[in-house]
Amino acid sequence: MLAFLLNRLGTMLLTMLVISMLVFVIAEVVPVDPARSALGPYAPQEAVDDLRDRMGLDRPAPVRYFDWITGIVQGDFGESIHYRRPVGDLVAVRVQRSLALAGLGFAFMIPIGLALGCIAGIAEGRVQDRVISFTSSIFVSVPPFASGIFLIVIFSLWLGWFPGVSMPDPEAGLLDSATKLILPILVLSLDEIGYLARMTRVSMAEVMHSDYIRTAVLKGIPQRQVIWRHALRNALIAPFTAIMLHVNWLIGGVVVVEVLFNYPGLGRLLLDAAMRNDFTLLMGGTLVLTFVAVASQVLADVGLYFMNPRIRFERPA
Amino acid sequence: MMLTRRNRLSKALSELTASRNAAVGIAIVLFWVVVAAAAPVIAPYGPTEMHDARLQPPSLQHWLGTDHLARDVMSRLFWGTRVVVALAPISVFLGILMAAPLGLLSGYVGGRLDMLVMRGVDILMSFPTLLIYILIIVTFGPSIAVVVISISLGSIPPITRIIRSLVMDVRTQDYVSAARLRGERRSYILLREILPNVSGPIIVDATIRIGYAIMAIGALGFLGLGIPPPTPDWGGMINEGRQWIFAMPWTVLAPAAALSSMVVGLNLLADGMRENAQAR
Repeated sequence: MLAFLLNRLGTMLLTMLVISMLVFVIAEVVPVDPARSALGPYAPQEAVDDLRDRMGLDRPAPVRYFDWITGIVQGDFGESIHYRRPVGDLVAVRVQRSLALAGLGFAFMIPIGLALGCIAGIAEGRVQDRVISFTSSIFVSVPPFASGIFLIVIFSLWLGWFPGVSMPDPEAGLLDSATKLILPILVLSLDEIGYLARMTRVSMAEVMHSDYIRTAVLKGIPQRQVIWRHALRNALIAPFTAIMLHVNWLIGGVVVVEVLFNYPGLGRLLLDAAMRNDFTLLMGGTLVLTFVAVASQVLADVGLYFMNPRIRFERPA
Repeated sequence: MMLTRRNRLSKALSELTASRNAAVGIAIVLFWVVVAAAAPVIAPYGPTEMHDARLQPPSLQHWLGTDHLARDVMSRLFWGTRVVVALAPISVFLGILMAAPLGLLSGYVGGRLDMLVMRGVDILMSFPTLLIYILIIVTFGPSIAVVVISISLGSIPPITRIIRSLVMDVRTQDYVSAARLRGERRSYILLREILPNVSGPIIVDATIRIGYAIMAIGALGFLGLGIPPPTPDWGGMINEGRQWIFAMPWTVLAPAAALSSMVVGLNLLADGMRENAQAR
């Protein structure tokens, strides 16, 4: 277990190191002078030169990279060019909101996706299966920015049930925020539910055909017990891995949903930073977002380790 | 030679249309390809032509109304098909072209090379794809070429991984050992023995990936980082029309529905191809 954990953490460290270098190199390539974009196009050249000097922009790239990365390790992400505030503070607020959105999305999509997939897999070939399979193949084909448009038109414009924007109001009560978040969560979850249901269906159908399930049925164990005690655990391993590989897809969805519903999360902050050439913010935020993605993959790996005895008892290669 | 090739093609087509999923998928995809090709004929106006009034509701002159710059929405929708129909397959094709050598070699040679390539793939795959696009587009500025290249670059790691695992499945087959014993060169074995035998699943995967590419082009357009205006682009149309969604829902509903239907078609086609491969 310890070796497994160390291995995963080592990979995570290596990944973050490579990604940080990539991000730094990309920012280097951009033909934008951070000092110039901080001061605007009308600032005198002397002021820009002065700021370049203070920002240490004339030092060689490896030195600046080293400076940047040691700063980050100590929690100092530098100062945003546009907001003139520490990147760490800006990102910290936003990342919480984005995590809340993604977390609620997960809590909604996982049970529904898995349940639909299980029902379809058990009823393979029957009506329930065909309805669920058809619906989920439509769901996976509709990207969040399109499903968002459909749902806003249906639920906000026609039915008037939910608001079309989700700017959290600090004064508002919990219930008010909740109704504002229903649509974004629905949009975020729709294609993921389709994807999960499809994965779970295949996996469940396969397990139901396996010898050990046939044995259990022939032994006279009631169907309900066969499914709950024997099939489910094995059938859920594949979709679990699938969710893990889908974290990056979900992040894309979160960015789109934040823009669509005007929800001030990390995705919108990054997009604004990109549009404004605010590279300290873009780089810092990118690293944080990547860290969230990589860390959740490690967590999922550990979860899988406990779920699947085949990994746990495997001899180290 | 030509005849047998055509025979094979028509046989593949008739096999495909036997599956209802694939038939519906082909019909949807073909519909949009025809719209793209015939856009100059069937679109009532030019994509950037401005008319008398902005934000008009649907009428006989403008079936889907006009947008915020008084352009005909239906014309922009039809012309916008060209962007999607041309760029999505090109970006996937470029991705396969770049990933195939990596995947083939990594799967066939194995050992240290394989370990290195797979490490790299794992690292890049844990980097959120949308961020890769955003960083590349911000660096080089939004243009058609940059959008295509960023999507194809982003697809290299997953395609490499798939080709590698396919190669690993067939490399121990007898015909590969036979070629090796005959003393064939490695490039011959990879290109003439292995590649033809893994191309089926690669094509199925590419079909799904064209759908992903369409969604990516759309998402970038939606975020304001796609094909620069005034070129008609479905994602861009959704982005521009979003502010008027409550007053003019059709200006955004139309491109959203068009884009979704195209992805539905591609996914159905891929499902059908997979069913056929399993049935065989």
